[in-house]
Amino acid sequence: MTYFLAQRVAGFLLTLFVVSIIVFAVMNVLPGDPALTILGIDSTEDARAALRERLGLNDPVVLRYLRWAMAAVQGDFGISYSFGVPVAELVAERLPLTFTLAIAGTVVTIATALFLGISAAARHGRSGDWAIMLFSQMGIAIPAFWLSMLLVLLFAVKLQWLPPGGFPGWDDPMETLRALVLPTVALALVQAAVLARVTRSAALEVMRQDFVRTAQATGFSPRRILWGHVLPNALIPIVTIVGLQFASLVTGTIVIENVFYLPGLGRLLFQSIGNRDLITVQALVMLFSVFVVTANFIVDIAYVLIDPRLREGRA
Amino acid sequence: MRRLPVNLLIGGALVTLVISAASLSVIWTPHPYAAMDIPNKFAPPSATHWLGTDQLGRDLVSQLMVAAGNSMMVALLAVSIGALLGTVLGLVAAARGGWTEEAIMRLSDLGFAFPTLLFAIMLAAAFGPSLTVVVVAIAFINIPTFARVARASARQVWHRDYVFAARAAGMNRFAISRDHILPNIAAPVIVQATIEFAVAILTEAALSYLGLGAQPPAPSWGRMLSEAQTLMYLAPQLAIWPGLCIFIAVLGFGLLGDGLRDLSDPRLGQRRAHD
Amino acid sequence: MIDLTDIHVDGPTGPLLRKTNFSIAAGERVGIVGESGSGKTLLALSMMGMVSDQLTVGGVINVEGRDMTSASEVDWRLLRARRLSMIFQEPMSALNPLRRVGDTVAAPLMRHQGYTREQARARALSLFEETGITEPERRLSQYPHQLSGGQRQRVLIALALACDPALLIADEPTSALDAEVALRITDLLVRLSRERDMALLFISHDLAAVSRTTERIIVMYGGDIMETGSTRTIMHASRHPYTKGLLAARPALSTLGKRRLPTIPGSVPPPQDLPRGCRFAGRCPVEMAHCATERPALILTSTGAAACHRHIADDSGGQ
Repeated sequence: MTYFLAQRVAGFLLTLFVVSIIVFAVMNVLPGDPALTILGIDSTEDARAALRERLGLNDPVVLRYLRWAMAAVQGDFGISYSFGVPVAELVAERLPLTFTLAIAGTVVTIATALFLGISAAARHGRSGDWAIMLFSQMGIAIPAFWLSMLLVLLFAVKLQWLPPGGFPGWDDPMETLRALVLPTVALALVQAAVLARVTRSAALEVMRQDFVRTAQATGFSPRRILWGHVLPNALIPIVTIVGLQFASLVTGTIVIENVFYLPGLGRLLFQSIGNRDLITVQALVMLFSVFVVTANFIVDIAYVLIDPRLREGRA
Repeated sequence: MRRLPVNLLIGGALVTLVISAASLSVIWTPHPYAAMDIPNKFAPPSATHWLGTDQLGRDLVSQLMVAAGNSMMVALLAVSIGALLGTVLGLVAAARGGWTEEAIMRLSDLGFAFPTLLFAIMLAAAFGPSLTVVVVAIAFINIPTFARVARASARQVWHRDYVFAARAAGMNRFAISRDHILPNIAAPVIVQATIEFAVAILTEAALSYLGLGAQPPAPSWGRMLSEAQTLMYLAPQLAIWPGLCIFIAVLGFGLLGDGLRDLSDPRLGQRRAHD
Repeated sequence: MIDLTDIHVDGPTGPLLRKTNFSIAAGERVGIVGESGSGKTLLALSMMGMVSDQLTVGGVINVEGRDMTSASEVDWRLLRARRLSMIFQEPMSALNPLRRVGDTVAAPLMRHQGYTREQARARALSLFEETGITEPERRLSQYPHQLSGGQRQRVLIALALACDPALLIADEPTSALDAEVALRITDLLVRLSRERDMALLFISHDLAAVSRTTERIIVMYGGDIMETGSTRTIMHASRHPYTKGLLAARPALSTLGKRRLPTIPGSVPPPQDLPRGCRFAGRCPVEMAHCATERPALILTSTGAAACHRHIADDSGGQ
C-alpha cells in the first residue's frame, strides 16, 4: 500500500515536471521572439531588445526554465504584462468561479449519468433503455457552446427566466446561483451523455456476474441489488472515465466562461491571449494542466479505495 | 448476407450528406459565399436564399457548405497525420518491445495531461491563431491515441501462429510488421479514426468559435456561431443552422464509427471506449 | 414442503423443460443428476421464482401450501428472504468482491429480520462457526479474494442459512472445488440438513456426490425426468439406460482423487435439436424404433419411476 502510494506520487510529480517543460518549451522556445509577439510587428528593434533584456530572455533557456519553475512552485507566476499585477493575484481572484463551475459540473454530470446509466441497464433491451441511449448518443454530438446558446435562446431570450450571461459576484447567493445554472447544465449535459453510456455498459457487465444472482436468491429487491451491488462493482470503469472527463470539464469551463461572459480563469486566458500576455497565458495553461494531471492522480488513488483486491500491491 | 447495423446505416447516410455538401462546395455553391448584399440582410428563407441570409446579407447555405469543406479538410488532415504517426509508433512499440515500447507508451501517457483544447489554445497563443495550428494540435493529441490502439492490436497479432511461422522463416521485424501486422490492425485503426474524426470536427468548431481557428473571411461553423451569438436577440435563427451542421457531422461520424466497430467485432457492440 | 405440478419452461426456440411433476417433503434430501443442459438448474430456478424474463414458466408451484403460480415478484422475494435459499457453483464469483464477507452475511439479517448491526454480526459469527469456517472471528472482516474456494463456499452456505430457510437448493456446490474439499462440503450440507430439519435439493452432474448427500434422486436429461427413485435404487438397481450410462461413466473410487467429469458417448444436443420422443434417443445404446418419436411416460414401479419404452417392453414381454 505504502509502496503503491509512493509509486503513484512519484509518477504524478514526474508527469508535472515533464508537462511544465512542454508548456515552457512551447511558450518560450518555439515561437522565436516573444518580444515581437508582445510588442507586435510595429515595434522598433530597440524597444524589443530592451524588453528582452528586462525579461531575462537573453539568458540560457535552461536557466530561464529553472527560474520560472522554482518561482511557480512557490506560487509566484511573475507579473502580468497587460494587467501589471502579479499573475497569482489574478488567478486567486478568478479561481473560485472556475472551481465552483468545474465542481458543480462534475457533480451534475455524475448524478445524471449514474441515474440514467443504471436505469438504462435495469431496462436493458426495452424502450426505456433505447430512449436513454438515444439521448446519450445525441448528447455526445452536441457542441457544449452550441448547447449553451440554445439554452440561452430558450431560457434567457424566450422565457426570460435566467440571465443570458455575466456574473453578479458572490454577495447575493440567489443571483449567483441563477447565473451559474445554465453554464453548469451546458457543461454537464454533454459529459453526462458520455458517462451514461459507460455506466450502462459497465453495469450490464456486472449484472451478468454470479454474486448478483446470490443477492437475488437472498431476497433482495432489484433496486437494492442495482445500487448496492452492481453500481459499486461498475465503479472502476466509471471512475476512469470521470477522471478523463474532468479534463474535458476543466477545458470546457474555458469555452463556457466565454459563452456566458463569466470572469473565471478561462475568460482570463482569452483576455491574455488577446493581450499577448504570454506570462499569464503560460501560467494559466500550466495551471489547467495541473488540474488535469491531479484529477488523473486522484483517479489512480480512487481505484484502490474502491477495490480491496487492488490494495495488496498487485496493481 | 448479414444485416448491416442500424448505426452504420444512419451514420453512413449523415456522413455522405456532409461530405457531398463539402465536396460540392468546391465547384458550386448557390451564391458566392462571401458575396455581401447589405440591403438584403437577415432575409428569411426563400427560393433564392434557402436558409436566408446573415447580418451582411451573405447566403447562409453557401457559407455552411464552404464551412463543411473547411471542417472536413481540417479533420481529414489532422486525423490522417495523427493516425499515421501514431500507428507507426504503435507498430514499432509492439515489434521491438523492451525499453523502446516502455518509452513510447510512457510518452503517450503524457497525452492525457493535455486535453486537445488546452493544447490548441497553447499553440494558438504561441503561434497566433490559424487553422494550421488547429490541425497541428489535433494531430499531435491524436498520436498517443493511435499509438495505444495500434500497439494493443499489434501485440495480439504478434502472438498468432502465422507470425511465428514468418519469424521462423527468418523474416525481419520490419517486414513482418508491414506484411502481417499492419493489415490485421487496419480494422481497429479505421474504427478509431472514424471516431476521432467526429472529435476533430467538434474541436475545430470549438476553437473557431473561440476565435483561435478559422480566421475571417474563411467560413467555419464555429465562427459563424460566435458571430451569431452577438446577434442572438436580433436574429436567433443564425444560431441554429451552423450548430445543427456540427451536430449532424459529429453524430454521423460517431455512429459510423460505432457501426464499423460492431461490424468488425460484434462482441464489442455494447461497449464503447471513452470519447 | 414444495410441490411442482406440470411445471414447464419454454424458451424462444422451444421447450427447455418439459411438463414435470416434482415435490420435496420437509427435511427431505433430494438430488437431481444430469449433464449440463438437462434442465436441472432451470427446475431449481423455477422453484425460486428466478427464471429469466425471456423464458416463460407454466404449471403450478406450491410452496408450503401456498400457490405461487401467479405470485408477484415481491411475493417471491419475501419467500426467498424467509423460506428458500440457493447456493451456486462458483464460490469465486458468487460473492460480491467489494464487500467483507461478514457484511455480506449480515446484510439479509438486517434487511429481512430487523437485526441491529451488532446482532447481525454476532449471528454471522455463529453461522460461520456452524458452517465450519476456520478462524471465524477474523474471517468476518476479510474480503472474498482472501479466502480459499472451500471457505468461500462455506460463507455462501452461511449466507443461505442466515434466514433459517426451510429448503436449501445447492446447484453444483462442489464442482468448482477439489475432491477433498468437495467431500467436506457435501458432508457439511448433510449435517446441516439433519440438524436443522431443513430440506436440501442437491443438484449435480456428479452421481457420486449426489448419492452421498441424498435420500432420493431424480435423473434428468434434455429437460425431462428420466428416472426417479430412492438413492439406493438408483445406485444399485437403476432401470433406465441413461442412468446406467451415468453410473458406468462414473470414475472408480480409486481414481476419485483426480475426478473427471462422467461422460456418456456422444454429447447433449442443443434443446431445439432434441428428439421429440425420448430425449435420450440417438445416444441410447438400447434404442428402439419408436423411441425418437414417442415420449415415454414416467411409469411407477415399486421402488421408483422410470421413463423408458424398453423398460416397459422388457417388463411386459420378458417375464
